[in-house]
Amino acid sequence: MAKPELKTNQKTQVEDRSSLKGTLASVFLLGLFIIVSWVSVYYLFVDRF
Amino acid sequence: MHMHKFEKIWLTFGIGCLVVFLTVVGVSAFYLGNKPASCLTTIDPEKVTQTKPFDKPGLHKVEGKEWDYELVFVASAFSYQPAQVEVPLGAKVKVIATTTDVVHGLEVAGTNINMMLEPGYINEYTTTFDKAGEYLIVCNEYCGTGHHLMFSKIEVVEK
Repeated sequence: MAKPELKTNQKTQVEDRSSLKGTLASVFLLGLFIIVSWVSVYYLFVDRF
Repeated sequence: MHMHKFEKIWLTFGIGCLVVFLTVVGVSAFYLGNKPASCLTTIDPEKVTQTKPFDKPGLHKVEGKEWDYELVFVASAFSYQPAQVEVPLGAKVKVIATTTDVVHGLEVAGTNINMMLEPGYINEYTTTFDKAGEYLIVCNEYCGTGHHLMFSKIEVVEK
């Protein structure tokens, strides 16, 4: 009879539910997008007469 | 109050960006004196063509002012006076414009000269024409059936 493997010594690495790593990454991606847009529009304004 | 380390990082970053952006806008407005083209100077819209400087639209050399030339535009349905004008390269010009009838736009495409002309008000914008070329002026406020036919041209030429 096959033994159901209920007990294993392997542990799966699970990120803590309260981790904010993904949030930090998305906040900085959005921030970078805003800064790039702002700077390019500002450069356009300064460059034109 | 407990705050996550990451929260402190992005709050500092966000507030820092806001301070930088507002400082740039503040310096531009209060130190460099940049302002909207509508300078709240008024004019009787029915007597535009008799009122100086709009009695003589076009480019005029001026002496003893911060700018070298004054470029006067009168907009009316559906054209600009002058219909075409030449500006010497490198000239510091004050663009002065108004309308005789309805709201018109005056946008010199590809430049920062862009204003809404309202009846009864004078718009001014001072700039240095430092790039040679042909610049199309278009009306960017819907003013009636001939709106799309309303344009003028500035030629910035070396003299």
